[in-house]
Amino acid sequence: MIDERIYEQFKEIGRDLYEAGMISSHGGNISMRLGDRVVIKRRGAQLGRLKPHDLIETGLEKNDSGVTLASTELLAHRTIYMQTPALAIVHCHPRTAVAFSLSRDELVPIDNEASYLLKKVPVVAEEFASGTPEMATKLAAALQSYKIVMLRGHGSFAIGQTLDEAFHWSSTLEESCQIMLMAKLINEPFIEYRKMAEGYGKW
Amino acid sequence: MNQMGGWMGKILDVNLTTGETSERPLDMDMARQFLGGRGLGARMLWDEVGPEVDPLSPENVLIFACGPLTGTGYQTSNRFSVSTKSPLTGTVLDANSGGFWGMQFKKTGHDVLIVRGKAEQPVYLEIKPEGVTINDAVPLWGKVVSETTRTLGQNNNKRNVLCVGPAGERLSHMAAIMNDGERSLARGGPGAVMGSKNLKAIVVEGKERPGIVDQDKFKFMLYETRKLLRASPLTSQALPEFGTIVMMNVVNNVGALPTRNHRQAQFEGAEAISGEALTEKYLVKNSACWACPIGCTRVSKTDKVEGEGPEFETAWAFGAQCGVDDLAAIIEANHMCNEMGLDTISTGSTIACAMELAEMGLLDSELRFGRADLLVKMVEDIGYRRDIGAELADGSLRLAKRYGRPDLSMSSKGMELPAYDPRGMQGQGLLYATSNRGGCHMRGNMLGLEVLGLPKLIDRFQVQGKSSYVILHQNIAAVIDSLVICKFTNMGVAEEYFARALSAVTGIHYPTGEMIRVGERVYNLERLYNLREGFAKADDTLPPRLLNEPVPDGPSKGWVSKLEPMLKEYYRARGWDENGVPTPHKLAELGLDKWVEAAQ
Repeated sequence: MIDERIYEQFKEIGRDLYEAGMISSHGGNISMRLGDRVVIKRRGAQLGRLKPHDLIETGLEKNDSGVTLASTELLAHRTIYMQTPALAIVHCHPRTAVAFSLSRDELVPIDNEASYLLKKVPVVAEEFASGTPEMATKLAAALQSYKIVMLRGHGSFAIGQTLDEAFHWSSTLEESCQIMLMAKLINEPFIEYRKMAEGYGKW
Repeated sequence: MNQMGGWMGKILDVNLTTGETSERPLDMDMARQFLGGRGLGARMLWDEVGPEVDPLSPENVLIFACGPLTGTGYQTSNRFSVSTKSPLTGTVLDANSGGFWGMQFKKTGHDVLIVRGKAEQPVYLEIKPEGVTINDAVPLWGKVVSETTRTLGQNNNKRNVLCVGPAGERLSHMAAIMNDGERSLARGGPGAVMGSKNLKAIVVEGKERPGIVDQDKFKFMLYETRKLLRASPLTSQALPEFGTIVMMNVVNNVGALPTRNHRQAQFEGAEAISGEALTEKYLVKNSACWACPIGCTRVSKTDKVEGEGPEFETAWAFGAQCGVDDLAAIIEANHMCNEMGLDTISTGSTIACAMELAEMGLLDSELRFGRADLLVKMVEDIGYRRDIGAELADGSLRLAKRYGRPDLSMSSKGMELPAYDPRGMQGQGLLYATSNRGGCHMRGNMLGLEVLGLPKLIDRFQVQGKSSYVILHQNIAAVIDSLVICKFTNMGVAEEYFARALSAVTGIHYPTGEMIRVGERVYNLERLYNLREGFAKADDTLPPRLLNEPVPDGPSKGWVSKLEPMLKEYYRARGWDENGVPTPHKLAELGLDKWVEAAQ
């Protein structure tokens, strides 16, 4: 039985992700680690309209009947939990960040907020960019050092101690990418305002 | 500058029985695995002190250890730790402290100092560039901490003194080791171990500096860390303006401030003993440890005394826990603890236990909740083991057992609990019960998540899933204690900064997750140490009052600690079996393969 307090967190973050335009109607998935258990969105459920029965609980390492209903990305979530300190994961499709991931190996924010919070976001690439062990391994390795990582052409995976925190990194990345896009559209010389800014690219 | 990154590469070994001193190289594989401070201390203690050793016998050792960040100039990199077997709890113990001594010891060119054996007469140790000497301390024996420190020539960041006071000499199980006058390696009674060795003090003077492999990256980390510490209201405003005692009103407001030996969880006199009251009436100035931009240290003054403190935990222990709302009396009790060399949390909470025993008519004493006038005298009596003080000197559990009421000791594994009521902060209760050195808030703290919203607020009454947060924060605390830096830095700066600073200093790439894994390794090794000492699942518990007596009023009204389900989940999430023993799979995952047999 999943605590009502936990369901409330899923419902709120799921709704916010949809309303922020960071997922399609049925896209994205979010999860929490509870001890040696994982609670993850049901496959095919809408994050923006989560009901209590849309949350699936299964083992972190061990399979049980929960896996028959779990999100396609369960493997990635489990791998990340086992290999990083994450206690919550938000996977979404922030469209501006996805667009930038098509042409860059890393996203280095130019705005103050994201420079402050994220420094740099690596882009990892995988032929089968959904639900495969290869993808899960690459993501988990990157998330050992970074709190949010882009999967090229697919979306972001952010980790945190809470869903709230992982959502924070996700929305910060998308906001930052929108600013980068606008700055490119304005197409005027960039005036560096950050001291030691070269450090961000080496983060 | 030392050519190695972070570590100095040397261990100093002093045998007080034989008078021999020697140096040997630091095992670098061990250092990479356990870093320094608490981690390295626990690893070395495993080899040095087995279950057959009495904590107060010459066979116990004191392991003073710096970490790879100590002395580098990274924010709050002033800290060091001492590891030993605790006389208070019988568990593995490390206590750590700030100030200047740790940085200065590292400048002597060593990462670790091991003190073993027992001197025939009181001695003090002097470690200088010219060499190491064991000197006569007979004239210093019996002197209080301030006089000892002054006599031995404490001089800011040039010459630093660490010593015990009368409490350590008299083997009080609550005795602290004091450094730089008023800083303390407080919890678990390390001062008694030092006293049992007839070692009054250790004086250090050094000239060396730890190496930093990637200077550019390190400078960037200094810059970014400073930026975050300045941006956080906690580290740039609350702690500098009010000190740690700023938490008094915060914790009281949520109904998690233990009051009158945990009979209640809110204190009507909290405002009078708060950070705001201290700043308004008694504050002389702020002060800071070496390389610390936060500066949470208070220097306070009453009609009778002037000195550092009190910290939040101290003001709570002598305040709310004793039902005392007289801040001047608390400041003076704190000062007396510093002079005697006593842990303020254990001392205050033991007095509170005595107050309850006396109110019940079990203890023949005039002690009563609210008797501020008795505090200072009681602390002094404990330090000198005088009168009833002799009965209190070994902590609340031994005292309460003597009077047939061990349940009135608010302790876990014999260590007095700090200032957060587990009934109002469920995760904190699990954290206390599973803390490897006994009930302690420095082995991780749920204050951030359950009260302050750091990094984000979680429900403090939630039980399901709480183990995950507790484990993560225990692991983070273990690695911070191994670096060694101050945990307050973590209130404004996330662990990823520490990992990058560590990588820049050592030249070894530590991804954030891998660095936190070091903390997990340390935690598991400490657990194995305690299991070897005979501790078991039954010891992972809380006082019956917190498990059975609901909070009578306030925001936590009606709550008890729901420890059992959290503990069950905790063991599984830790990768331990149902008895709390690390599984071979978990040990192998942590690179602790050699310990699989010991765990069986």
